[in-house]
Amino acid sequence: MFSALRQVFSNARYLVIASTIALVVYTLALWLPNVRLILDILFSGTVSFSEKLSFLWSLYGSIATNFTLVSATYTILISILFGMSTALITYYIKKRRTLGGSGATLSIGGLISGVFGIGCAACGTFLLTSFLTLFGAANALAFLPFGGEEFGFIGVVLLLYSVYAITNKISKGVVCSV
Amino acid sequence: MKNNLNSLGVPIAIVIAGGLVALAIIFSGGGSKAAINKGGAQPPTGQQEAGAIENYRKISDKDHIAGNPNASVKIIEYSDFECPFCKRFHETMNTVIENEDVAWVYRHFPLDSLHPRNARRAAVASECANELGGNDAFWKFTNGWFKVSPANDRTDFEVVVSDLVQEIGLNETAFNECLESGKYDEHVQADVDDAVATGGRGTPWSIIVGPNGKTYPLNGAQPLSAVGQLIELAKSEK
Repeated sequence: MFSALRQVFSNARYLVIASTIALVVYTLALWLPNVRLILDILFSGTVSFSEKLSFLWSLYGSIATNFTLVSATYTILISILFGMSTALITYYIKKRRTLGGSGATLSIGGLISGVFGIGCAACGTFLLTSFLTLFGAANALAFLPFGGEEFGFIGVVLLLYSVYAITNKISKGVVCSV
Repeated sequence: MKNNLNSLGVPIAIVIAGGLVALAIIFSGGGSKAAINKGGAQPPTGQQEAGAIENYRKISDKDHIAGNPNASVKIIEYSDFECPFCKRFHETMNTVIENEDVAWVYRHFPLDSLHPRNARRAAVASECANELGGNDAFWKFTNGWFKVSPANDRTDFEVVVSDLVQEIGLNETAFNECLESGKYDEHVQADVDDAVATGGRGTPWSIIVGPNGKTYPLNGAQPLSAVGQLIELAKSEK
């Protein structure tokens, strides 16, 4: 596994892909609760460009104020693992031009699960809460032992397995199967 | 054929994931009424369309206001006494109102499905403190509660409230009568309905109102720097 990781990430291109995707996922996690406000400010004609940038930057501080230690940890882990997973898939596809379903599916599954876990379990701002409401099941969150943070944990596990599965494929070599 | 399907797997999975994430974002913007209902039985019956921030109930002398009531920028915060992030944001707001041109308007938004034991009762208790000791007593109760509460419905309600009532110097008998009377149930529910009508779907939910009436929605316990910048942006829109 580690030799495959070294093999892929010794190439700067894949390091850039992983970092960029990780940053995008992390940014989405922090900005998602305030999409409406962000759009208002971005499209405001009276707010200068530097003020827009400065405001967006200030929202990164919410990792310390709007997340618990646990949710902040899995949000960061999901971002990093999704970035890694995407870079590994890209590498593998580029070499072999195809990818057996499991790696990609797990990555995507991990991200979706993680996304549902984003938010504040104690304050009802989970994306999951909104989703469950559609089925009239928002109160179900109260019965989950971690109030919905489970989805963040599942996201991390799926992504870890995804990285493991793809690195295994890469380690086995880029050969045609008989 | 199998190889073709495999090679299509990644783009299809990405499209499905994108769709699901987009759906999640859209739904999350639609308001989560069930999460904030008392007992989850019926959605609040506000006349206004959910999510329209301009529908906020106009600020009046019936509101609980800290800071300068005549400030050019007003921040209406909808808060839950048992939400740990409201506890954090309460500290932030206490720092924010050191700015003399900001008024902090406190409204109730107890999330009964998440904090069924204490959140609504504490909201009613704060109203009783207000009735017996005025605006000053309301803020002493609120600040005192957030200072000692461990949040997430773990507060020992009777002990904390009794301590606060004595500390503030309220008549304990009158306070308990008020608490049991149910006279502020409607008031608290009106705040909840107002939060929902403006698009609140969790706490803390805040609306920043600029000098020209322009509104900015702020979700969650955002850092002091973000709140400070929003205040400056609101002020600059004259």
